[in-house]
Amino acid sequence: MSFRTHDKQRFIIDSANDFTNRRISKRDFLRKLGMAGVGMSAFAAGSLGGFRSFGNMAMADAHGETPEDVANFLREAGKPFAGTTIRYTSESTPPTVVLNQLKSEFTELTGINVEIEIVPLEQVLAKATQDVQGQLGTYDLYYLDQAWTATFSRDTIDPREYYADKPDLAMPGFDFDDFSEPLVEGISLYQDKWIGLPFDIPIFTLMYRKDILEKHGIAVPQTYEDFTQAVELITAAEQENGIYGTGLQAKSGHYSLECDWSQAVWGHGGSIFDSDKMFSGNDAAGIEGLEWYMNLLANAPANSVAATWDGQWQMGASGQIALCQSWAEFFPGWNADDSAVKGLWEMTTPLKGPSTLRGRDAVGFGEIPNWGHQGGSSIALSRYSSNIDAAWLFLQWACSKDIMTRCTLAGGFAPMRTSSYNDPRILERKNLEGSGTTRHLGTVLETINNYMASEPDMAIWAGLANNEIPTELGKLLTGQDYDGNPKACMDQIAKLVDQQVAEAELR
Amino acid sequence: MHPSADERADNRLRLPRWMTSEHPLPWLFPCISLLLVFGLYPILYSLWLTMYKRNPATRMETFDPAWNWSRLWADERVWDALQVTLTYTFVAIILQLTLGMLIALLLDTDRKGFGILRALMTLPLVVPPAVTGMMFLLMYDGSFGVISHALYDLGIISKDDPLLATGSTALLAVIIVDVWQWTPFMVLIMLAGLRALPKDPFEAAAIDGATDVQAFFKLTLPMMSKIIALAVLIRGIDLFRVFDYVKVMTDSGPGTATETLTAYTGTIYFKSANFPFASTVAIFTLLVVLIVANVFIKVFKVRF
Repeated sequence: MSFRTHDKQRFIIDSANDFTNRRISKRDFLRKLGMAGVGMSAFAAGSLGGFRSFGNMAMADAHGETPEDVANFLREAGKPFAGTTIRYTSESTPPTVVLNQLKSEFTELTGINVEIEIVPLEQVLAKATQDVQGQLGTYDLYYLDQAWTATFSRDTIDPREYYADKPDLAMPGFDFDDFSEPLVEGISLYQDKWIGLPFDIPIFTLMYRKDILEKHGIAVPQTYEDFTQAVELITAAEQENGIYGTGLQAKSGHYSLECDWSQAVWGHGGSIFDSDKMFSGNDAAGIEGLEWYMNLLANAPANSVAATWDGQWQMGASGQIALCQSWAEFFPGWNADDSAVKGLWEMTTPLKGPSTLRGRDAVGFGEIPNWGHQGGSSIALSRYSSNIDAAWLFLQWACSKDIMTRCTLAGGFAPMRTSSYNDPRILERKNLEGSGTTRHLGTVLETINNYMASEPDMAIWAGLANNEIPTELGKLLTGQDYDGNPKACMDQIAKLVDQQVAEAELR
Repeated sequence: MHPSADERADNRLRLPRWMTSEHPLPWLFPCISLLLVFGLYPILYSLWLTMYKRNPATRMETFDPAWNWSRLWADERVWDALQVTLTYTFVAIILQLTLGMLIALLLDTDRKGFGILRALMTLPLVVPPAVTGMMFLLMYDGSFGVISHALYDLGIISKDDPLLATGSTALLAVIIVDVWQWTPFMVLIMLAGLRALPKDPFEAAAIDGATDVQAFFKLTLPMMSKIIALAVLIRGIDLFRVFDYVKVMTDSGPGTATETLTAYTGTIYFKSANFPFASTVAIFTLLVVLIVANVFIKVFKVRF
């Protein structure tokens, strides 16, 4: 998810000025441009929300030390693979960007080179799809969004099995049990197989501008009803000042819209599939959720229908919105030193009720209805790689306790390992306001452990979530079709989805 | 002592007869090979793919030649995309041709400084389309885009209807980018045509008292008709397969308001991984281009 476009442009211009005025070296200039070139994702910002300070912070953490036992293991285990180059393609998520900066440490220890291609999420899907279709092995590791877990399950190697099968390459103290159990279940597990290691956990929480709520005497919303009232009140009162109740990631045809929609459906007691594996977004609860979402659009900046997570991030950082139920990883950037609203955002657990959640036995394809939509990802070992052992070493290093904690410190995102939340370095920043804060992580952990919702696990979900569902929703939300009738839109989606499920013989 | 002309001719490298210009095939072989590998093979492979029904869950493909074509026939998005593609092509070609001709007429002079102007005109052509798309995406942005803000200030659009996220404006906004980039191509062709026109008919018309406008419609346009037809054909085929601008700026949205046939092919291929159906839509696009282009060539008697 990328740092703000105008911030990126400003960063590039500043860097160019610094270079021409000889304030920085050519090497630094190229490094900075390289950093700017990778900003394709929302995190972006997050961490890069204070991009300049982030740069320093990340580099400081990059000089941290790998624990001695791990370093010794990597030196020894990596010897046979020195000079090998492993390739990995990923979205520009917080851990990936930070990992890209830390990877030289791994190369110094093992002699294994690592190339990380950072591209927008849809391109990651396209690259992985082509790679597995031809069984090319172009990439040794895949970055797999949770929505693609089932799609790629047969193309990856179960890391637990590989760990057991290759004791010589097993990192000491790796500790699979330290990965948060709900995250493993929601992100990396498909039919008892770990398709990779959990690597990133954006999850929906409720974020709010405390100054605006206080100004209007609004209590922090607890339910969808509270939220709607607060959003409508703030839009009515503040719209003239350029502030809206909320902001959305409602870009037509984009996965971000599907994420917003599924959160709304679950939150209103609905689900995507019923227990007969039929699409159920068109039932009463589903329609209620969609109507609620359509009402939010009227209380959000008009650009919401053109915004993905990047656009939504910009709305929050520029002070355009007062409340937002979205990815927790926005929070550090919105609180960064150069944010227009530094220190004004607070976070709490996602909205709950008044509807009742649909039970897991009432839904299909392993869907988990709950209050907080998760959008996590795994790093997976490609079955078609010709450098599996070298890639396996990197994968263990990237997902080790130390690196995950250091990625968190540098990027401000939420770690996948339980131990990271109690690491003294994390706790030290829990009251910090501004860049590098970890004061949101307690809420994130609570949401993961208690309220985490997860999309269906099915082999055609990647297509449905990225194409049919958000495209038809986009037609409705932009008035291109359905005459504002959510039921008509949902019925059409039901027809398209059920047809594909039947064709794929998944029912 | 210098060799005589006859001796020099004898010493010259003598190529076997089959390698002389009378037999061009061996010389063309590398080029033909490349065309076969990169042109013909992908088409044949796509055709072969169209004959298989793919189960996206199991990735099993079964031979069923009619499956994808019947699906294409029933798929409303294909016909919507065809309509968008035709609209895009038609509107863009009219705008580019009109502007191209007007600018070419203005630049068709040997006044001092116009040489530089003609060179500057070509600058948009060297910018990669994806970069152009990104550039305009920023300028169209509803929050900080310079074009959007100018249009707000002029009262032409409302802040509630972002250019690229509103069904009624998105397609035109993308077409304008295409026009910005490719009008110079039309200018170049029209300029070349104008410069090649004989002077005598114009001098005779001037003596007879014809105005510039009359000369343009009675002489310039008829004499340029073949060049115009050729330019329309080249740009038309190019426009029909537009992908970059749509992908970068709207990703076919809002809804499917800017979804062209190639964009839809990309969506099926990359998002749904249904390669046989994507190939079917691609072959369908190719067939439409072939038919339309051939009709155009016949009607306007285009000569290459």
